[in-house]
Amino acid sequence: MCNVSDRVDGLLSRVEKPSRYMGGEFGSVMKDPEKVDIRYAFLFPDTYEVGMSHLGMKILYHTINKREDAWCERVFCPWVDMEQLMREENVPLFSHESRTPLSEFDFIGVTLQYEMSFTNILSALDLAGIPFRAEDRKNGPILVGGGPCAYNAEPLAPFFDFFDIGDGERSTDEYLDIYAACKKEGASKEEFLKRIAALQGVYVPSFYDVEYNADGTVDSYTPREGTGAKPIVYKALVNDLTAADYPDKLIVPFGEVIHDRIMLEIFRGCTRGCRFCQAGMLYRPVRERSMERLLELADKLVAATGYDEISLMSLSSGDYSCLPELAKEMVLKYRERRVRISLPSLRIDSYVKDTLAETQKVKKTALTLAPEAGTQRLRDVINKGVTEEDLMRAVGDAFDEGWSAVKLYFMCGLPTETDEDIDGIADLAAKVRDRYFRVPKGQRAPGLRITVSVSVFVPKPFTPFEWAPMLDMDTVIARQKRLKEKLSAIKGVDFKYHAPDVSYIEAVLARGDRRCADVLETAYRSGCRFDSWSEFFSMDKWLDAFRACGLDPDFYALRPRDEGEVFPWDVLDCGVEKRYLLSEWKKALRAETTRDCRKGCTGCGMKRYEGACV
Amino acid sequence: MRAWVRIGKKNRLRYVSHLDMQRLMQRALNRTTLPFAWSQGFNPHPVMSFASAMAMGWTSEYEIVDIRMAQDVTAEQVTKEMAGALPPDMPVYEARLVDDRKGAPMALVESAEYRILFESPDPEAVFGAIQSYMGEEHVIAMRKTKTGEKEADIRPMTYALNRQEDGSNAVIARLALTEKATLKPDLLMQVLASRAGTQAEGIRVHRLCLFGAGGVPLMEL
Repeated sequence: MCNVSDRVDGLLSRVEKPSRYMGGEFGSVMKDPEKVDIRYAFLFPDTYEVGMSHLGMKILYHTINKREDAWCERVFCPWVDMEQLMREENVPLFSHESRTPLSEFDFIGVTLQYEMSFTNILSALDLAGIPFRAEDRKNGPILVGGGPCAYNAEPLAPFFDFFDIGDGERSTDEYLDIYAACKKEGASKEEFLKRIAALQGVYVPSFYDVEYNADGTVDSYTPREGTGAKPIVYKALVNDLTAADYPDKLIVPFGEVIHDRIMLEIFRGCTRGCRFCQAGMLYRPVRERSMERLLELADKLVAATGYDEISLMSLSSGDYSCLPELAKEMVLKYRERRVRISLPSLRIDSYVKDTLAETQKVKKTALTLAPEAGTQRLRDVINKGVTEEDLMRAVGDAFDEGWSAVKLYFMCGLPTETDEDIDGIADLAAKVRDRYFRVPKGQRAPGLRITVSVSVFVPKPFTPFEWAPMLDMDTVIARQKRLKEKLSAIKGVDFKYHAPDVSYIEAVLARGDRRCADVLETAYRSGCRFDSWSEFFSMDKWLDAFRACGLDPDFYALRPRDEGEVFPWDVLDCGVEKRYLLSEWKKALRAETTRDCRKGCTGCGMKRYEGACV
Repeated sequence: MRAWVRIGKKNRLRYVSHLDMQRLMQRALNRTTLPFAWSQGFNPHPVMSFASAMAMGWTSEYEIVDIRMAQDVTAEQVTKEMAGALPPDMPVYEARLVDDRKGAPMALVESAEYRILFESPDPEAVFGAIQSYMGEEHVIAMRKTKTGEKEADIRPMTYALNRQEDGSNAVIARLALTEKATLKPDLLMQVLASRAGTQAEGIRVHRLCLFGAGGVPLMEL
């Protein structure tokens, strides 16, 4: 084990893109292992290029490394060529910074961004020679999971020691403080878990007994006596984002990663209340970073990274209360230094013409809009507070200002959807095209490109659609085909869609329970990994795994839930209450909308948290 | 005014590709307060060039990047700022200021000195082949080019070749490096090994120096 670094070096000449395993990037944090008490491996269960684009990792890397007693390093999943070589030559999975084997860390913190990366976690543990099940790890690293999928990580529950629910900036420090004390005292892992079980946001799955009903649904979750586990785990919440930790330097990768730029989170949360959107529920309430703080951070980050692009990040950047001022100020400030400002995920109704004019001074990319559904009725069902007028105005403004590329995002399989709603997507695309040709020739930018991208809707926990079945795959395929035919009649439209099988497995895992852990392990052992990469996904292997474990995937994906059903994630509280979600579900079925809560509280339950929504 | 900066690329960073190096250098410049010049045109970028592209997997202590400055700077300022802006495994050794009329380093390079580490079932035989190789007037080898294989006389492109005198399996070679004629260390080692009736594998190339006309190191040219 002593010279992992040399052995890694020996593999690098034989793999694709070796720089992604190299480490040593500008901005990576090096510490003396002798001078820290806590070694923390932040595992991103996907490739380097995906992981290095993730904001949450950058924040926690910064937060943990600010501590003198801890060193946070990064770990990614090796691509299949590297994985194979590592297995052949017995090279254990290692950290980027010091190339320390994963098994030697105190903590492995895993970010759970997407259900289809779950098998990669097992792959990482396997490569590190770490037992999968928490009960088999009396010693060795403590596995902690966070991120959106930690809100229902039951399919992963037997593998993890605990989950950290909610904002990690403060809760991470809290459990690390307790760990430092436990380590000094020589306390056991069990003892450590008991002590942190009292912390807000900490969920220790092994401290709960789960009972199931005869029909396979959950009967109850009961905290075991003497563990200190709470009946309900409330998420950790950082109320003041301006005062919260935010990196003022970043690691700058050598090769190109997916988001290779400065990411500036302008606010967290969303007030819109779109009913399909899990993030919109999980990250409540809205908390803005002050403009002064953002400008200060931008200055530091430009100087510290040398990046030539700043991306203003949030769930709905157009909703930032001083967006026009912020965008204008930044565009003007950085024009000299040739730093571009980009605003992703803009909602059409907040698309300010002024901002549009400002951003195009720097760079003109495709205008991205997400109507999500093709008819007003269905947009009301999902509470996407956007009308066709809003959409046409935004597109029209863009075309008038000299843009020619538009991307439109939709979903297929939303609750109550019919063929009429699918046809509505084609109608919208046609109207967008007509609007382009209304700009006089000579004034409009040449080369109209309309991309219609349709994903398959997956009902997620902690949304009003947690009671809804996923649309069966045959119907999804039929509707995709129908839309394809309709769109092929419209010139200049590019239609993008995917087979629904990955979404189906995602739907199973998203609302899965603890019994699904066996399926995950079986699927992994049969070769499943990188399931979100179409070249690796194998539906047959997954279905075989369910069969082998005696579980019916339709039970999780396609079953409509009763109002009174106990969900595997009911033990957690994300701020938005179940009774509120249920009332939203009923309103959805009546196609009734709910207002944006910036215009007046809608009573979601977030106010139960101290200091929230003031 | 331009600045020539000599940097190294240590072992850990040897898989940074040439394209990545260019992006890295541009970002490193952005991290400094140096008054570097921007190109004109649709996509402005800092005006800079490398003396010679390195193959993936090589290390070096003699990479030269030529950077055009929009205002006067001192060599000390350039050294200090660049050292602070590059990753730790990319040390900055020195900088010098050159006149705008001076040619690009790329055009001035004529040869390079390498330390070439290798593994072989019979390293002594490889060392033994040095003398006979250097004694030849012509050594014809098949050189891989973009369009296929081509015969080339590599002996005239070999200016110096010696065993590294520290007991390691390494040779020190000074080889031609111009646009017209370049001899790659890998090819040299293959030829040497085959003349010795053995193989040379696991070749690790480290660039020691770049030379201009008259065998003068580029930084002194």
